[in-house]
Amino acid sequence: MIRIVGAKNREALAPELQSMHRHRKQVFVDFLKWDIPVIDGQYEIDQFDNDDAVYLMVSDPQTRAHLGSVRLLPTQCPHLMSEIFPFLCDGAPPNSEDVWEITRLCTAPKVADPSTVRRHLCTALMEYGLLHGIRRYVSVTHMAFLAQVLAVGWNCEPLGLPQMVNGEEIGAIAIEVSAESLSHFRKSLGLKRPLIALSDQAQAA
Amino acid sequence: MGQFHDVQAFVREANRVTEMAELEPALASIMQSLGFDLYAFVHHVPGSVVPESVVRLSNYPEAWRDIMRARNYFADNPVIMACQKRSVGFIWSQLPSLLNLSARQKESLDEWNRMGFGEGFTVPMHVPGEIMGSCSMSVGRGASLPEASLPAAQYVACFTFEAARRIARGGTEKLTPSTKVRNLTQRQLDCVVLVGRGKSDWDISRLLGISDQTVHQHVEEAKRRFGVASRTQLVVRALYNSQLTFSDIIQ
Repeated sequence: MIRIVGAKNREALAPELQSMHRHRKQVFVDFLKWDIPVIDGQYEIDQFDNDDAVYLMVSDPQTRAHLGSVRLLPTQCPHLMSEIFPFLCDGAPPNSEDVWEITRLCTAPKVADPSTVRRHLCTALMEYGLLHGIRRYVSVTHMAFLAQVLAVGWNCEPLGLPQMVNGEEIGAIAIEVSAESLSHFRKSLGLKRPLIALSDQAQAA
Repeated sequence: MGQFHDVQAFVREANRVTEMAELEPALASIMQSLGFDLYAFVHHVPGSVVPESVVRLSNYPEAWRDIMRARNYFADNPVIMACQKRSVGFIWSQLPSLLNLSARQKESLDEWNRMGFGEGFTVPMHVPGEIMGSCSMSVGRGASLPEASLPAAQYVACFTFEAARRIARGGTEKLTPSTKVRNLTQRQLDCVVLVGRGKSDWDISRLLGISDQTVHQHVEEAKRRFGVASRTQLVVRALYNSQLTFSDIIQ
């Protein structure tokens, strides 16, 4: 099942969040070598991990360990594309209530089946988007991973030409939220019911 | 500026089309406007008999393809080998610095040049769990590569490949068994790891406590699953697959 973590329930889900920040450090800093802040030598936390952020998270109900997650930010609040990478957009970066940004999509380093966790997160992104009137997501992606992002099977388009940043080619893309993509993902995963618990909706919002 | 709008219009078209016959002219037209003469967007599947669900979009003259097939340039094609080591695009003249080119490979690059290929740009297409592919865009001998088009070319590569991949497998979410690589079993993986460390079937059989015949079967089955011919290719593919399991996508 997918948990939604927002400003109101982050205290209650502190162990899951702590585990998420630890895994994000292992994935993005240790493995992918991104130059981003690390707190206490073990947690990857930046200025966008704030009260505006909403996380969709897969966690182990027993151990409360994080298995995979993605961070969402409304584009009407400061976000990665507006504050750090505005030059990736041809024109102004997105700023609209029906456009949200996806960042820090990752799975726990030792999770048994990362591809299923990732596909659950993509499905939950569509569910969350449809529930909240989000029309499209935007995201900054490394060109090296673009083929993999597109292969998820959702409808994407570029927001500007890719650019070289610190020796790596990155670009801004938009991902369309649609009932069609949701049913396509559900079918391929054999899901009959929503992944997002409605009780979480109320708690996180 | 104008170039981005061309790419955006192309991407929308590529996302919309449902048949290769619609994708091909759109690709030919954007290639021309970006300044490329030749292109080949392909899954790396050796041999002349390939499953239908494989991407194969190319405007190489048939005669050139015949020569390449006849010489079996697939086996040690330097562009394909560079794709196994690279995650982002590279220019063909960089190949000697990316790979330790064998005499045969140097000769094949010369032969491509004699056929009429000039400078080119290749973007590797890595989708974990699937057969690798690449998108190569080049100019004829003597022409110069349109350097200013390379950022746009990367988008054209990725979005075209995805559209072709979607069309090739019939618009369904399920990959056909012929292109979908099944994961190796733990036992097969153990064998492949030891093959990678240079162990013989006999060494492996001692280490794992199984017969060398069984080791042989595991290795053959693993090769079959990845659709590769040699033990070296098997190790590269297995490494690549597990390496990418958690290099997760988005910034």
